[in-house]
Amino acid sequence: MRRLRIEVDYHRCVGSSICVLTAPRTFALNEQGQSAVLDPEGDPLEAVLEAAEGCPTMAITVFDADTGEQLFP
Amino acid sequence: MLVQDDLLAPDVVRDPYGYFARLRETDPVHWNDRWGGWLVTRYDDVVRAFRDPERLSSDRMAHFQQELTEHDRERLHVLIKYFSKWLVFTDPPYHTRVRMLVNKAFTPTSVERLRPRVRQIVHELLDAVEGRGHMEFVREFAFHLPVIVISEYLGVPPEDREAVKEWSDETSRIFFIRADDPDRRERSQAGLVKLLEYFEPLIHDRRRNPRDDLVSALVQAEERGDLLSHDELLATCTVLLFAGHETTTNLLANGLLALLQHRDQWELLRQDPSLNRSATEELLRYDGPVKATFRWAKVDVELGGKTVRAGDRMLLVLASANRDPEKFPDPDRVDITRNPNPHVAFGHGIHVCLGAPMARLEGQEAFAALVQRFPHMRLASDELEYHPTIVSRALAELHVEW
Repeated sequence: MRRLRIEVDYHRCVGSSICVLTAPRTFALNEQGQSAVLDPEGDPLEAVLEAAEGCPTMAITVFDADTGEQLFP
Repeated sequence: MLVQDDLLAPDVVRDPYGYFARLRETDPVHWNDRWGGWLVTRYDDVVRAFRDPERLSSDRMAHFQQELTEHDRERLHVLIKYFSKWLVFTDPPYHTRVRMLVNKAFTPTSVERLRPRVRQIVHELLDAVEGRGHMEFVREFAFHLPVIVISEYLGVPPEDREAVKEWSDETSRIFFIRADDPDRRERSQAGLVKLLEYFEPLIHDRRRNPRDDLVSALVQAEERGDLLSHDELLATCTVLLFAGHETTTNLLANGLLALLQHRDQWELLRQDPSLNRSATEELLRYDGPVKATFRWAKVDVELGGKTVRAGDRMLLVLASANRDPEKFPDPDRVDITRNPNPHVAFGHGIHVCLGAPMARLEGQEAFAALVQRFPHMRLASDELEYHPTIVSRALAELHVEW
């Protein structure tokens, strides 16, 4: 299974919760109401990419943890 | 003590920023007796409220109905029925289900595909006025661009655009609370009925002949096994059409005005068109289209040292949060290179504006084209008049010449 590294830009994240609803085992809201990564491999890759693309502010960047390849955006 | 505490006083309509700044400094969660609700003016408090949808409701129709007599509830039943299904006025779980259904069509990636077409529309609108040397920007540009873009995206044919825009404007009367509009509820419902009557056959057509448009996508939408009900689909078509109109018009007009009033920033953007993205964010922050948005407390909530009681309404004042010096250095200055710029012009939290990527795109393309094509544009009149509304920051006209 592909290992992922996921970054959330906290200047951009507006707490829409869309990532949490799309990939609930990967993302959760932290105490500040912003997105936090629970487990980068919590959901299938497609769900993680869909969560990143669904973000209204493009706050989520997804990388392949081994190769460093940027998968989204 | 505030001398002036009236959201619709002419001075406050003209310059809401001075009024909100005084509140932010002296009484940041302020009971406005005349309006009958709380005004929340500090950035941190506004964001905290936005992140608390479980206790602070967006269900405007539930509260609206309570204010009506039995007779009025009956008379306005169509309006109540469909507005109760509009994303902006709903709480989870309904909001979550419908938002997730439409979200894919409005992500930055999806909307970015429209950029070439938006650029083309912008230039066509400017072509039409270029030789004349002047225009009334609100009516001749800022009205048209958002209507064309959302109509094409939804699948409303060009020949119907004008009528649909008119019905949408009528529908808006109830929200942009104008001091001078006593029949606004009835006219709003009449406009909505027209829109519903318009979308009904369009939806039926797309069921039989799906096309590459949003109505077709909604008709086919099935996520996690649940389709939208027919009424939900109708309500969603009307809200998507409606939501981008006046707000984006105001974004464009307020933004152009700010650029023309801050000539150094105009020049900066002209010299470096790649600043159009950060410029759009800064113009949204500095003088955005929406001054404030409503919430209703479901339970007692402590905010900024005050107790907001269950049932109280509040205005989260975006226009004030965006000028809070605790968050933005030199907040009254226009700086189109400002970065980061975590403004709340589109709201925040689960209700953050669905159409924000589309509004941003229209702003970016419009401002870049305006400075490039009309480098010598200037204001043709110093007199500026704003519509007297609590919620929107809406110029009546903006005359420019070049």
